[in-house]
This record gives sequence, C-alpha cells and structure tokens, in this order.
Amino acid sequence: MTGWQLFLQQLANGLTIGAIYALIALGYTMVYGVVQLVNFAHGEIFVVGAYLALTVLSALGIGQPLAGAALLGVLAVCAVAAMLGCGLLGLGIERAAYRPLRQAPRLAALITAIGVSFFLQNALMLIYGATDRRFPVLIPPVRWEVGGVTITALQVIIWAGSAGLMAALQALVMTTRLGQAMRATAQDPKACRLLGIPVDRVIALTFLIGSSLAAVGGMLFGLYYNTINFHDGYLTGLKAFTAAVLGGIGNIPGAMVGGLVLGVLEGLGAGYLSSQWKNVFAFVVLVGLLLFKPTGLLGERVAERA
Amino acid sequence: MARRLAACCALGLLIAVLGCGRPGGPVVKVGFIAPLTGDQASTGQAMLNGARLAVEQAMARGDILPGHRLELVALDDQRSPTQAVTAAKRLVADPDVVAVVGHLNSSCTMPASAIYHQARMLQVSPVSSNPQISRQGFDTFYRTCATDDLQGPAAALFAVGELGARKIFVIDDMTTYGRGLANEFAKKARALGVKLLGHEGITQGDKDFTPLLTKVKSLAPDLVYFAGMFPEGALLIKQRRDLGLQAHFLGGDGLFDPVLIELATPEAAEGIHLTTIGSDVHRIPTAQAFVKAYEDRYGPIGAYSAYAYEATSIALWAIKQAGVKDRQAVLAAMKGLKDFPGLFGPQNFDEKGDSRIRDIGLFTVKDGKFSFLKSASWD
Repeated sequence: MTGWQLFLQQLANGLTIGAIYALIALGYTMVYGVVQLVNFAHGEIFVVGAYLALTVLSALGIGQPLAGAALLGVLAVCAVAAMLGCGLLGLGIERAAYRPLRQAPRLAALITAIGVSFFLQNALMLIYGATDRRFPVLIPPVRWEVGGVTITALQVIIWAGSAGLMAALQALVMTTRLGQAMRATAQDPKACRLLGIPVDRVIALTFLIGSSLAAVGGMLFGLYYNTINFHDGYLTGLKAFTAAVLGGIGNIPGAMVGGLVLGVLEGLGAGYLSSQWKNVFAFVVLVGLLLFKPTGLLGERVAERA
Repeated sequence: MARRLAACCALGLLIAVLGCGRPGGPVVKVGFIAPLTGDQASTGQAMLNGARLAVEQAMARGDILPGHRLELVALDDQRSPTQAVTAAKRLVADPDVVAVVGHLNSSCTMPASAIYHQARMLQVSPVSSNPQISRQGFDTFYRTCATDDLQGPAAALFAVGELGARKIFVIDDMTTYGRGLANEFAKKARALGVKLLGHEGITQGDKDFTPLLTKVKSLAPDLVYFAGMFPEGALLIKQRRDLGLQAHFLGGDGLFDPVLIELATPEAAEGIHLTTIGSDVHRIPTAQAFVKAYEDRYGPIGAYSAYAYEATSIALWAIKQAGVKDRQAVLAAMKGLKDFPGLFGPQNFDEKGDSRIRDIGLFTVKDGKFSFLKSASWD
C-alpha cells in the first residue's frame, strides 16, 4: 500500500461516515434556517430511524444478505417506513413541543429541544431495551479493489443513497413552490405571513423533511456498523450538528459539504495523527473555524440577517 | 385540600401495603454489581444469573446465618467508573450488606475497591483482571480469575510461537483493563523479538475504526492484538474484514462473549483467536453440575457466569463461617479459606487476594462459535 493509496483509502472511509453526517446535518440546518432553533432532539430522531428500519427488517424476517432487486426492494421498504415514521415523529414534536413556544424567548425552545431529546432517548431505551441491537447483514460482503483502495458494496450504497437524497432535496428547495416558501420563511417569516404564505405549515413540512432525511441516515448507520444503541444519537447527533455549523448553519449545501468535510477530517486525523484523539478533531476543527470564519464554510446567514 | 388529604392517605396505604408484602425478620445481604444495561449488558446479565444460582443453591442447603433471610442486591454500573462508585457507595451505606461480588470491568473495580476497603467490606471480583487492583494492598479484595500480567505474556507467546507473528500492531480501548493488558502483551512480545509497528488507543462506545485499521493495513502486520471489550472488538473484527486486512486477529478475555460473533458477523469472526482468564468451563469435570443447572435454567452459559457463581459461593461461604452479620467477622473468616471446593478445583488465594488457579485458556472462532484450543497454567 503506497502513501497515495493510503490517503485515498482514508478519504473513502471519511466520505462514508461523512455522507451519514451530512444527511443528519441537513435536518439541523433546515430547521435552524426556518425557525432559528437548534433542534437537539434531531440526534434521537436519527436513532429512531435506525430502530424503525431494524423493526421492519425483523418483521420481514430478513437475516441473510440479499442481492439485486430483492436487496433494493427491501432497502426501499425500510427507508420509506423509517422516513414516514420519523417524518411523522418530527411533525409531532414540532406541533407538541415547539409550536406553542414560537413566540417565547429562543432559550425556552432550546431547552425544550433538550427535554425532547431526553424523552426520546429514554422512550427508546424502554421500548427497545438497553443493550446493543444487532442489525442483520443485508448487503452481501462484496469488496472491490480500485487502484489498491478497498470499497465495499455497502459504501457504494451509502454514497449513492445520500447523494440521491441530497440532490432531491436541493431540487425541492430550489425549484418547487414549497422550496420557495421555505426559503422565503427563512428570510423573513413576518413578511411571509403578510403575503399569505402558510408559515406554520412550511415550518411543519421542514421538520418532516429534515426528520425523514435523518431516518435514512439512521438506517445507513445501522447497516454500516451492524449495531444500534439507544444512546448512539448523542455523539453522532453532536457531530452532525458540528457539520451543520461547519458548513454554515441554515445553509443547505453547507450542511452537505460540512458533513463530508467533517467525516474526511476525522478519518485523516485518526489515520495520520492518532486514533485516540479521533473525537477531539471534530470539535477542534469546529472551534478553529468559529474563531476565524464564524459563518461557516458556505454560510452567509449573519450578513443576510444584518 | 381534600386532594392533598387523599394523596396522603394513598401514600400511607402504599407504605402499609409494601410493609406487609415483605417477610419480616432480620436479613443478610450480598451485593452484586456489573453492567446490567448498556453495551456490555449481555455479559453482566450472564454474571448475575450465575450469582443468583449460587444464592439459590445456598439457600436450598439451609440458612447462611441462623435466623436470617439471604438477599442478593443487584446494582448496575453501566461499565462506567463513576456509576460503579455510586453503586458501591449505595451498597456500603446499607448495614445489611456484608459482602459484594463485582465488578466486571477493572476500571470499575479499581475505584470501587477503595470504597469497600474503607467500609471493611469483603469484595470478591469474578473477572476484573488488571494486576494493579490487588497491588493496592487492600485486605478486603479477592478475585477468582487469573490476572493480565499472566494473560498478556501468554497471548504474546502464542502469537509468536504458534501464529508465527513477527510484526504486530497493538490496539487497546484506553481503559484500566485494556491498556494494562496491552502493555503486558507488548512488553512480552518485545522481549520475544517481535517488531511492534505501533500501539494505539480507541474510545469505548465509538463505532468507526476504519481510519485506524486503514493505517494498520498500510503497515502490513502479521497480527493485530486488541485488548478491550467485545462491543468495540466486534466492530474492529468486522471493519478489518471489510478493509481486506489479512493479518491474524488476537484478543483478550474481554472479547469472550457470544454477542461478539453475532455483532462481528460469523464470517468476519471466523479464525480469530482470544485468550481467557481461566480454562473452558465445559471441560472442567468439577464444574459440570453447575453448567447443567445453569443451562437448564437460563440457557447457554455466559462467558463469566461460572466466575460470578464461584465468587458468590465464596462470599457466602465466608458469611457462613463468620456466623454473624458483621463485615469485620466476614473478612476474618475469609482469611481462613483453604481449598474451597470451587468449580475450577480447590480454590485458594495468595496474600494479595489473587486466585492461585492461574489457567489461561486459548480459544478460536470456528463455525461461528468459540472453540477451545488449549489452556496452560502460569505461575
């Protein structure tokens, strides 16, 4: 393995977890964009997605690797079920916990978000148990050697799936009326209300979309690491939030870039410097960036608001 | 006002009902602490089953202390040293508790042992194997397993002698147990002329080890040694396979839980090796009655069920010998233990409280199951 191959392999590793970070980061950034709320319950929604996918897999009785159309079909069923479940959960949380506090000081909503996070985490523990739950190996352990770099079928699925979803989201935000309404709400909710845009419904749909993206992230996370635990949402959620800030919170392409950059930086840091400091790199990068470029890599929010 | 009155009445009734539900009379308690929730819960629960069986069998043979009921108090340390200390403090605060069986992780046993020592309470640890624990000089500490200053060198001898490893990469989980075992292994491996390509730590609870394993792969070792627990071990084993890392994989007793193979997937786990602190319980004639009783009751025996049973039996023996519900008397009685008829043969302890049964077992994973290769006694 040459130095160059090693670098490419680390890049591939980083892009895989980075793609998952990006999917989750989108939810943070979209919600922040429209209501300026850091939805700390988002990490738990991601875990709910993983558990829902697992529940569907168990219900279908699948324990063996699948191939071809059967694999894609099962993945699609799991993804849709998890997206629906998490989307509705996100919608419910917004309706029950955040909407009543829309006019309250921002800190109240933030603390409520932390409360919702605790609530979901403990509910998951009670429903699914406190031990690690194993994900069945759905994807056959196929590996390809591309120029000395090992890539698994699962990695390709993660890249393709997240790239597809991100492209769809970008199209939705940039070309549809809903997307236009979301962008308008992000800029000025009061003016939107005056113009007759149903702001509450736009906000609710933003939660729904963000949560269903996290659900897919959760499913891919479960498939990639084969295990899921009720407290996995904490650290992964925090990293995804870091990714959102890294890219510029409120900025959708920023969250995608932030997730990938964070995954790669973590991978390179752990691979070239020291693996025991792996979790530190993410946050060192965050602090460094906030010091020198507070708006994030692609962020323009501060200027836009000012 | 009426509502408050009703609430008071309900509370009073509740207390009365609870009070009635409990059989009266004096009680003597034995504590048990291990991770009962969290990622290591499967190991902890299997230990708790062993401890329960010991208590039930002892009760069936008659009172431990004349006129006292025997109760097992099981607490959860979630493999966290802070939770372990909290649980230990709760136990020592209860005057009915005269001995404790626990914990699983050395990082938990280490700080908790000081609390038991201060409270003059007998502690019998089933499997905490870090050698430093018994070097603290606590006369309250005993353990029923071999220690890592035996396990590490045994693993190194196996790696070099039988797997022919010349270039080794060492990974540990940065806990008291993992780092301690990894250092013992590395020391012996170096003395055997092995080239150590590196020694790195990972964080417990982390899931993505591909950056580290990619680096390991680029160094092309013959063997990767991992000192840590099975949740992280399983991911290392699986991710190394996904990266196409061909080296042998050797681990310590922290991997010895059937959940390891399940989490790592049987294909990826096939052919890995691990050492255990003790021989295969299925092959020890004196342990067969216990194995049968356990498996009839709880299903397949856990890796450390036998050690928890042994540790609990010894604690109960000491209480019975003492004849009174007094921590100091239990400690004094424990000093008189000689050739206790344990599962692994006559059990004795040295002056530090370490078991004199010093077998290190060697297992491999074959056809998706742990398969015993051999064991050797070290002294």
